[in-house]
Amino acid sequence: MKLKEGSFLWYLYLDKLYCLLSVRNVKALVEYFYLLDVHRKKTLNDVLFYHFLHHVTDLKRNQITIVFNMLDWNAVGEIGFDQFYMLVCILLARENHLEEQFIYRHSRPVFELLDLDGELKIGPANFHMYNFLFNMKKQQLRELYRDFDITGDRLLNYKEFKLFTIFSMDKYQERQKAEREGGELCSKKCRIKL
Amino acid sequence: MEEKPLKVRTLPGPPPPGSTQTHPRSSLGSWLSSHSARGSCLGSTASRWYHQKASHDSDGGCEESDAGGEKDNFKPEELDEHALMELETHSGSYPGGTLEDGDDDSRIDFEKSSSVSSLNIPKHTPHRAYWVEQQNRLPLPLTVLMENEALEILTKALRSYRSEIGRDHFLTNQLQRYIEGLKRRRNRRMNVAVL
Repeated sequence: MKLKEGSFLWYLYLDKLYCLLSVRNVKALVEYFYLLDVHRKKTLNDVLFYHFLHHVTDLKRNQITIVFNMLDWNAVGEIGFDQFYMLVCILLARENHLEEQFIYRHSRPVFELLDLDGELKIGPANFHMYNFLFNMKKQQLRELYRDFDITGDRLLNYKEFKLFTIFSMDKYQERQKAEREGGELCSKKCRIKL
Repeated sequence: MEEKPLKVRTLPGPPPPGSTQTHPRSSLGSWLSSHSARGSCLGSTASRWYHQKASHDSDGGCEESDAGGEKDNFKPEELDEHALMELETHSGSYPGGTLEDGDDDSRIDFEKSSSVSSLNIPKHTPHRAYWVEQQNRLPLPLTVLMENEALEILTKALRSYRSEIGRDHFLTNQLQRYIEGLKRRRNRRMNVAVL
């Protein structure tokens, strides 16, 4: 999933630590939502939502429908600003490769979004359905269910999911540290050569 | 950090001041990144802004058009005070408003008069409300970008409305009027900028 370059959302960004928008960004987002709220119901219906997402991302029709159904948690056929804000944060996390951080920081809302049928448990199919949003690779999913399915029912409850997010976050930070150290070593070698 | 349940419909709390951002992009990005130390906003606070704005527009549209008629009789000094009073009264709102026909003229006139009146304000007259309003406004390039993008999206949506629910449906007509209002506002802003 990629945001269209030069679109309004493309100019927004998340705080790197907490994966939230700043006050100014939210204010701008409110104005943008208000522009799209044609019928003055403080919501976007499915048609407006489809055209918005189709315009600012490269998602396909069936993917947009999946996102709409995920966000329409009251099943009213419309998306309010709270859901819109959540979607923008997810899109920006995906765009800026902050998926692990986002899932770690907002594990409860993400778990509840993935738990479509409200059973307080999520299976591999849930993850696979939203792979284009949260970028969970097959290998990661296999590890997830092998290492964190403590109850052994091939489903994750929230505690198991939370443990997984902590573990992913640790791995992500180790990767970042390794990349930084690799970069510093390279620059030192370049300086020595000079 | 403890997260709130999704039923509250907010993401967890604000980041501390001085937290880092990921990717500032050009001048619009730099505007959006400035004052980020004020802290981050929860969905509920943003919703409050949105509801405040929406309720103002539903109640205040007539006030603006009424005020537009009264303004013509004011002298410049009285107009300054009147404009300031209006700014103080509607300090939380953005002068976008609903995009019905009559509101466009009064809004553009209001913007012109407030910008002209700012030049005539004597130095000793307090104009704090004006500067507060300026701080709350979005920069023009960002507004233009948002409106242009919204126009493109809504024009495509209008085609879907026509094909799916018909040209005569009241929602189609409402969307069509809205798009026309948005185009008129954009054209007037371009004319004002050229002048």
